[in-house]
Amino acid sequence: MSRIEYVACLDQQYQSQGFPPYKWSEFDSSPWTPFDKPLEKSSIALISSAGIFRDDQEPFDPWAINDLSFREIPVDTPFERLKLRHNYFDHRDALRDLNCVFPVHRLKELEKSGFIGRLVPKAITFGMGRLYKRTALQNETVPRIVELLKQQGADAALLVAA
Amino acid sequence: MMARVKAPRSVFVDFPLGRQCGKPNEPELQTQILKDALHVLVTATTPGEMVDLPYEWHEPFDWACYLRDTEQMLNEEGSEKQEWNPKG
Repeated sequence: MSRIEYVACLDQQYQSQGFPPYKWSEFDSSPWTPFDKPLEKSSIALISSAGIFRDDQEPFDPWAINDLSFREIPVDTPFERLKLRHNYFDHRDALRDLNCVFPVHRLKELEKSGFIGRLVPKAITFGMGRLYKRTALQNETVPRIVELLKQQGADAALLVAA
Repeated sequence: MMARVKAPRSVFVDFPLGRQCGKPNEPELQTQILKDALHVLVTATTPGEMVDLPYEWHEPFDWACYLRDTEQMLNEEGSEKQEWNPKG
């Protein structure tokens, strides 16, 4: 099955409506830090862009534009307390089982079985669609998230792009 | 998109958006996807390496399906499709 070329399709869709071309992020190189710890001793952090927040937190706007905010979600939060608001993808399967885009139950099981050392206690959700403020995201939002992950002793982060 | 961003290590699951960690209520599949991703964490040697995982969605899907499914979702939920107008 051939893959969907999301960039080309989105470009075609929005430019045909009169929007200027979106400046997709494109990098020539990739940052690299060797990862030498065995998984069974590693602390893994979960980050998801699926628009998930807890019932006592500020909701995400499902049609967000330039939302640079993020939420910290304790990984033991029961799913009944989590909400998903994101209309840029078909979220119906995620509503049936949040693990499709926020796999905390599976990661907790992998922790319990010793496959990973630890799932860090707070997951991060951010990165709603239609972001144009790239510099602000990189210079303001991301350093704060990195700091939170470091405070929790994360060795690596698993990013789930919903 | 992933090829442009070049995260240090990534895995690609060829499922429709919103199911990147597997299908709903299929914990074995979800677990396997995570194990595969975590395996790449410890075995990758090339920055920007992308590994395609072998899982297949149960039916073909394409961009038209994405548009149809998101529209169906909005209809089911009684949400208005948002009309954006490019600024003149």
